[in-house]
Amino acid sequence: MEVSSLPISASQRGKLISAGYTSLSSLSSISPSHLAQDLKISENEALEILKVASRRSGLDRIDNGACAIVNGAQTAWDMLHEEESSVRITTSCSDLDDILGGGINCKEVTEVGGVPGIGKTQLGIQLAINVQIPADYGGLEGKAVYIDTEGSFMVERALQIAEACVEDMQEYNSFLRKDVRACQIRKEPKDFLDNIFYFRICSYTEQIAVVNYLEKFISEHKDVKVVVIDSITFHFRQDFEDMALRTRLLGGMALKLMKLAKKFNLAVVLLNQVTTKYSQGSFQLTLALGNLLQLRSGMMFFICLYLLWLFLK
Amino acid sequence: MKPEDLLHPLPTETPKLTLNCPLLDRLLRGGIPCGTITEIAAESGIGKTQISLQLLLAAQLPTSCGGLSASSLCLHSEFPFPFRRLHQLSLFYQSHIPNNALDRIFIQPLHSPDHLLDLLPRLDSIVSQLNIRLIVIDSIAALFRSEFDNTPLELKRRSSMFFKIASKLKSQAQKFGLAVVVTNQVMDVIESSGNLRIGNSGVLCSSGRRVCPALGLSWANCVNIRLFLWREEERVDEEGGDIRSMLTKRFIRVVFAPHLPDCSCEFVIKREGVFGVDR
Repeated sequence: MEVSSLPISASQRGKLISAGYTSLSSLSSISPSHLAQDLKISENEALEILKVASRRSGLDRIDNGACAIVNGAQTAWDMLHEEESSVRITTSCSDLDDILGGGINCKEVTEVGGVPGIGKTQLGIQLAINVQIPADYGGLEGKAVYIDTEGSFMVERALQIAEACVEDMQEYNSFLRKDVRACQIRKEPKDFLDNIFYFRICSYTEQIAVVNYLEKFISEHKDVKVVVIDSITFHFRQDFEDMALRTRLLGGMALKLMKLAKKFNLAVVLLNQVTTKYSQGSFQLTLALGNLLQLRSGMMFFICLYLLWLFLK
Repeated sequence: MKPEDLLHPLPTETPKLTLNCPLLDRLLRGGIPCGTITEIAAESGIGKTQISLQLLLAAQLPTSCGGLSASSLCLHSEFPFPFRRLHQLSLFYQSHIPNNALDRIFIQPLHSPDHLLDLLPRLDSIVSQLNIRLIVIDSIAALFRSEFDNTPLELKRRSSMFFKIASKLKSQAQKFGLAVVVTNQVMDVIESSGNLRIGNSGVLCSSGRRVCPALGLSWANCVNIRLFLWREEERVDEEGGDIRSMLTKRFIRVVFAPHLPDCSCEFVIKREGVFGVDR
């Protein structure tokens, strides 16, 4: 048995086997506190055992190659704790933040859809600015990648929003007690624009290329905390000679973006258009190409801005 | 083409084309932006073509006056093209445009959507050769109105064409720094329920009727900026009695734009062109 080959004391080995831990894989996804409870030992001792086991399983993998260790597994408790303590990107609208549970979450892909003129691009620009709010003010202090497929990004508007953000921060500062006031690193609106990496793409091939390139780009710019794509389906709504290709491309792109969000712990925000669908005798609004972009695993929120419009009216 | 090439530093300001009227420019915060598609939707006879003609001339103004100091191209699908009016207008631009302004305005008639699709790829070389920085399509609705049956399949085909055209136009606008202006017609709205609110106003009215821009939701997704022109009739009471006359007032409004708030402005059409009115 694998556990018997671990360099631990005989009493610990005995306790492990009698508690049912016979293989290294059973030890791979358990937390120290749980193991300590099971074996009735201290948590430090349990941590030591797990360290030894993981070191051994690392060597085993090199030797065997057919190891059954589940890497990267987490307990649901750890995941909940992580999610509760993560900092979210505020949308600067308290009602919207409430719906989202505090703001846009990192490690997730959020899709925002709505009719033209409802404010999708505004939200995208707002998030690209708000991600840069310093940690002292409750922000992520990160940078933004803005992928513009339609040409809707207007610098003048981004500057206006940045100015308002600076004013907000100053107002917040004045409410704090004098001794608690954050360090006065006054950000200029123009500084906000310097932290937005702006990609302008004009065809679906360019879009796929940029999404593929993002992994390399973000590993070189680790402080990017939000990727906004405005809008994700515009270039795919033309006639494709091969519709199956379109499905594959969109599905592949969605998967890559999900992996990106999880790997680099950033938020991916997809802005999408809406179209009408004829179902059950009436026309309904639905997200464009929504069935193709459907992410089969991972967390995702769909926000229909049409409903939000009713809410905000 | 490498993905790194698609990363652009943000400019401090987007270049814009003036409408040659300070009030209208103030409404648009500078004018028609380059690199985007601006749509002007209105009933017939309100002034869409007048504004287009004005823009065709304004493009030749030097950049110090807000122009693009370049030639312009007009793709028109409504016949006949108002040559005489264009000539009349050009006389008022002689101080800023010394040579014959009409030499640098290029006209191309359009007969069908396929004709437009064929033409767009050829524009790449034409635009760079002739130093064109403004493209006006007058009007997009006339191209599509009679071509497609009202069946789901045909409408889907029509919708794909919108995206193809818009995609090509935007890519050229981005590549060459063009301003693209498209005019659109309006349709009457019959039922009040099920009307989609697009942009700043739920209800657009013109000449006392409820209207909405033609070509539907798909086309609305293709344009960056939508401007709506409309007409209102106002009763003017003559002094001393029952004699009343109707005064026509024209207005322009921003329906949606990424950088403009909801605002409107009255305008008039004079011999010298279209000008805003200070209320």
